[in-house]
Amino acid sequence: MNTRVIICIILISFGSIAAILPKENTSSIRLNADQMLHEIRLATNLISPDELADLLINKDPSILLIDVRDSIEYGKFHLPGAINIPLNNLLNDNWIPYIDQISQNNIFYSNGTMLSSEAWIITKQLGFKNNFVLSGGINEWFATIIKPERPTSMAPTEEWALYNKRKASGMFFTGSKASSADEAALSLPPVPRKKKSRVQGGCS
Amino acid sequence: MENKVKKPKNYMNPYLAGILLGMVLLASFYLTGRGLGASGATRSVVVSAVSTIAPTHTANSAYFSKYTKENNPLKSWLVLEIAGVIIGGFISGAYAGRLKLKVEHSPKITPRKRIVMASIGGLLFGFGSQLGRGCTSGAALTGMSVLSLAGFVTMMAIFGTAFALAYFFKNNWI
Amino acid sequence: MGPIVPLLNISNELNLLIAFVIGLGFGVALEQAGFSSSRKLAGMFYGYDTTVLKVFFTASITAMLGLIFLNYVGLIDLDIVYINEYYVYSSIVGGIIMGAGFIIGGFCPGTSFTAISIGKIDALWFILGSMIGIFIFGETYPLWEKLYMSSPLGPVKISTVLGIRDGYFALLLIVVASLMFWVGEMAEKKFKREDITNEI
Repeated sequence: MNTRVIICIILISFGSIAAILPKENTSSIRLNADQMLHEIRLATNLISPDELADLLINKDPSILLIDVRDSIEYGKFHLPGAINIPLNNLLNDNWIPYIDQISQNNIFYSNGTMLSSEAWIITKQLGFKNNFVLSGGINEWFATIIKPERPTSMAPTEEWALYNKRKASGMFFTGSKASSADEAALSLPPVPRKKKSRVQGGCS
Repeated sequence: MENKVKKPKNYMNPYLAGILLGMVLLASFYLTGRGLGASGATRSVVVSAVSTIAPTHTANSAYFSKYTKENNPLKSWLVLEIAGVIIGGFISGAYAGRLKLKVEHSPKITPRKRIVMASIGGLLFGFGSQLGRGCTSGAALTGMSVLSLAGFVTMMAIFGTAFALAYFFKNNWI
Repeated sequence: MGPIVPLLNISNELNLLIAFVIGLGFGVALEQAGFSSSRKLAGMFYGYDTTVLKVFFTASITAMLGLIFLNYVGLIDLDIVYINEYYVYSSIVGGIIMGAGFIIGGFCPGTSFTAISIGKIDALWFILGSMIGIFIFGETYPLWEKLYMSSPLGPVKISTVLGIRDGYFALLLIVVASLMFWVGEMAEKKFKREDITNEI
């Protein structure tokens, strides 16, 4: 059998395999199920209320709180400096520059963790970076910072230290300085993320 | 007198050479996301030369100014690739004993006619490669591998025309 | 995951080094196939040497299958890989002019560089001619600009146009290529030119 016939048989065999392969949309930014589970387990996307309190008290300019509940709930109460992007509107054109960027850290929050986690999953699969979730949401914020649980008198000093710290933070936030932070949140234009694009090539 | 004529090695089997070339092309896609090319390198040399000799003219030229945006057109992917092609070809030719300075021509025509025909052919190919946005390596070979329609169309136009005109130039070749 | 350079933000210098190494492979493959000889290349159009057909199709089919398989096992993101854009008239007219250049000059740019590397003087003149041709195109660009930019259809894939999967098209192409190889080898026997084949 000459080379041609051997080569053709090999190529036709591989070609037949290629023809029956299901269409696989391999994307460099979309995670598969295993990777997603791994990320969720690592929980590196979570910010605790304590951590958030620290960031807010220190007036960390690199964070942006995003309230993903609807506008009525936002109007009733929102965390200081938070902007409102209801989950249904998350992918609207005017909000994309805020969630698809590389210059700041967005922290999604909702009453609990469900809506904010949903927002995180969506943006993660779109390849957006620097998005986080407030663990426990507003409910946990209240339970930890605003009305921290008073430890029993037998508790170790660390617990009392934490309680006092939380109480102090809570007092910081129950003041009336919330409104001035709101305008500042939207004043800095975020730096857009460099999207993946097709490589230039050919003879051009 | 001993006549030492060293016969050059045979060419590689074309199918195997094709697989080798296909692997190089695949490596290029996997490593850099782009395929091979050649006419772009020649164009970079032309743009570089023209902009060195007449910079204002180049800046005003609608076509050349597209390629002077990089500081040095010679520091381009294709130019480095073609440098590799030349050295790779040399190494392969040296290994196979095929290095020889000559004008390759059919015995039916003189070397001078061959040079003239090569120049005219080159001129047409250079012009056509700009209009066609690529040559056989960049548009046709690379294009076909990614199933690009432009690649197929360009390939069929090149080979179809060459076949159609073959009769008129057969005295140059056979 | 590939392609490596764009996804890992590889530096430009390293990318250029990779280009050089790939060029080395390209040059070796072309020269080993015999493409530094214009008479071998022209043989395609007169029947006595169908190496061009065999190498060209085997190479693009190999790379095509490679991309399909790499994509299937998740090793390459095909949204990033370059696909050349289809401008209808410039592709066709450019191709026609290049075809004329091919049969007259006996080279294409890639093979001309391989040929010059082993000392072919006619390749040198081909390259000089192509530089002049590029220069002429640039200088007379306003005349062709309309043709050059007409009907941009973007990076269209054949499989999309035909409405079939990439893999199906690959198989189709392989079957067609197998037939062409067979016809090519028959043609080589019929239009045999031992005198030329022994010389090149």
